[in-house]
Amino acid sequence: MSAAQIELRGVRKVYYKDRIEIPVLDKLDLDVPAGQFVVLMGPSGSGKSTLLHLVGGLDSPTAGSVRIGDAHLERMNERQRTAWRSRNVGFIFQMYHLVPVLTAAQNVELPLLLFRMPSSERRKRVTTALDVVGLSDRMDHRPNQLSGGQEQRVAIARAIVTDPQLILADEPTGDLDAKTSEEILGLLDLLNSEFGKTIVMVTHDPRAAAHGQRTLHLDKGALEREEHRPAAPAVSAAR
Amino acid sequence: MTLTYVLMQNLKRNPLRTALTIVAFALPMAVFVAAISFVMLLARISADNERELRLGVHHRITLTNSLPDGMRRKIEALDPKGERLLAVCGMRWFGGRVPGTQNTLTSLAADADTFPIVYSDVDMTDEEIATWNRDRTAAVTGKGPAEQYGWKLGDRIELESSVPPYMSLEFRIVKIIDRAERANFFYFRRDYLNEARERIGQPDPRCNIFWIKCKTAEGLRTLQAEIDATFANTPDATKSEDENAFAANFTQASGDIPGLMQVAAIVVVVIIALVAGNTMMLSLRERMRELAVFKAIGFQRGRVFRIVLAESVLLALLGALVGVIPTSIGLALFPLKMLRMGPIGQLDVSPIAVLVSMVIALLVGIAAGLWPAYQAQRLNTVDALRRVA
Repeated sequence: MSAAQIELRGVRKVYYKDRIEIPVLDKLDLDVPAGQFVVLMGPSGSGKSTLLHLVGGLDSPTAGSVRIGDAHLERMNERQRTAWRSRNVGFIFQMYHLVPVLTAAQNVELPLLLFRMPSSERRKRVTTALDVVGLSDRMDHRPNQLSGGQEQRVAIARAIVTDPQLILADEPTGDLDAKTSEEILGLLDLLNSEFGKTIVMVTHDPRAAAHGQRTLHLDKGALEREEHRPAAPAVSAAR
Repeated sequence: MTLTYVLMQNLKRNPLRTALTIVAFALPMAVFVAAISFVMLLARISADNERELRLGVHHRITLTNSLPDGMRRKIEALDPKGERLLAVCGMRWFGGRVPGTQNTLTSLAADADTFPIVYSDVDMTDEEIATWNRDRTAAVTGKGPAEQYGWKLGDRIELESSVPPYMSLEFRIVKIIDRAERANFFYFRRDYLNEARERIGQPDPRCNIFWIKCKTAEGLRTLQAEIDATFANTPDATKSEDENAFAANFTQASGDIPGLMQVAAIVVVVIIALVAGNTMMLSLRERMRELAVFKAIGFQRGRVFRIVLAESVLLALLGALVGVIPTSIGLALFPLKMLRMGPIGQLDVSPIAVLVSMVIALLVGIAAGLWPAYQAQRLNTVDALRRVA
């Protein structure tokens, strides 16, 4: 994928619970140009996370098409989507989800285990990724030796170590205080403005949403409205 | 970093649980390797016995019912040309103990002239046979008592009988048997015992068993039938059996040990499979979100399956090693022959038993990990991430 361009057409997603149909997204159309920082907002159950999962290839639509760059995700089976994810998407979660028995560097290295790559190249990439998030001095620390903000930085380094064009963040600041949240959001700004990553972020926090160039408000599985902001100036990695 | 490294690190996640699981594997595996070794030992003894072509003739009712001394001539008369029968050796139980000790040695008085022939596997040299024939107090002992009591060739020793008339006899060691199968036996001349009994006015030249060395397996089978037919319907009716059947009956007299061993081995395998399976399920539940992240970042279902399965196998193999290695070392340092417990006394851990145990551990590890690995493979990434988000 040269540059992420997200195109959703007539996307419908339905879950079933005890044979009862629960529609989550309905006839959703969306276009996100490459290099845009998009924020998804909306009340619980509005379909934000589902949309994020569809764009990330974690789930497939019940109907409609999801195209990311040249990849038509709705045509792929699970195995193909998993392989696609490993090369093209970086995930950032609210609770970081680091492996507690591995060091920061080893956690960042995990996605690289899926690629045939000399260990020297792996080390170089891990060091670069941790450098970008400002944690090169914490490489050998385990998650329990890091603060919440530092853990999320490690998670961000893990998301970018394979150099994906698309980064998906599911409430990345939901578990952090205001100051640390700003640092993390500054990092996302940096990845977007300096490294040209397309970012889709789910959040409930309007201050976090202010970092995106475009905010999509979802309600009951449909796009309710959207706001546009000019691209933020480049921000250096906050510490 | 490799995935193997990640696996090893995973075992450190909950060190206490890992340690307890390894111990839960190790203890049964120690029993298991000993059980397998014992079964193999019995098989080895059985094969040796089969080669020796010895037929035991004892009273039909019990071994303690003695048979008349003259029965030897009658048995020999069944094969006057010596086509099937090589020699007959009458034996009498002595039950000797070293004065001041409680251990009863497997001590038997044997016919002096035929003992070296019937028990050719004792490997007596011509010189040793000459000494045996010359010295009425001559005794042949296994390595077990010799090592326990520090007996050397030429030593004069004393044994007290544990059966009436409770005589005390002095012997001279003329041979120490190397063979493990005879490690706990002690043989001496029956004419010496008979004379001693006459001296105290209690002559009784009867035997508990006659061991017959046959020339061929076919000869052994025909003699077995002929002997029992010859003495049927007499006060001294006999039961003849080859050495394996005799050993099996003897062992079963004190309980079906091989059968118990087999049952114990099966129970052990089932228990450790359940323990390991339970541990893996617990571990899986704790790491649901982590495995979901693995899948999200691109680990295929098959790879996740293999990670969980490999962890189970690793636990099983570690447990087996921790159980088998100390057992092997322990049995080498403190051999059970010191306990004088029949065949168990010869128990040592064979490399094949170790190999079998490791293979069993591997299979148990796979069996215990299959279901958790399957669950991990089927894990719905979206659901798992949602549940913990």
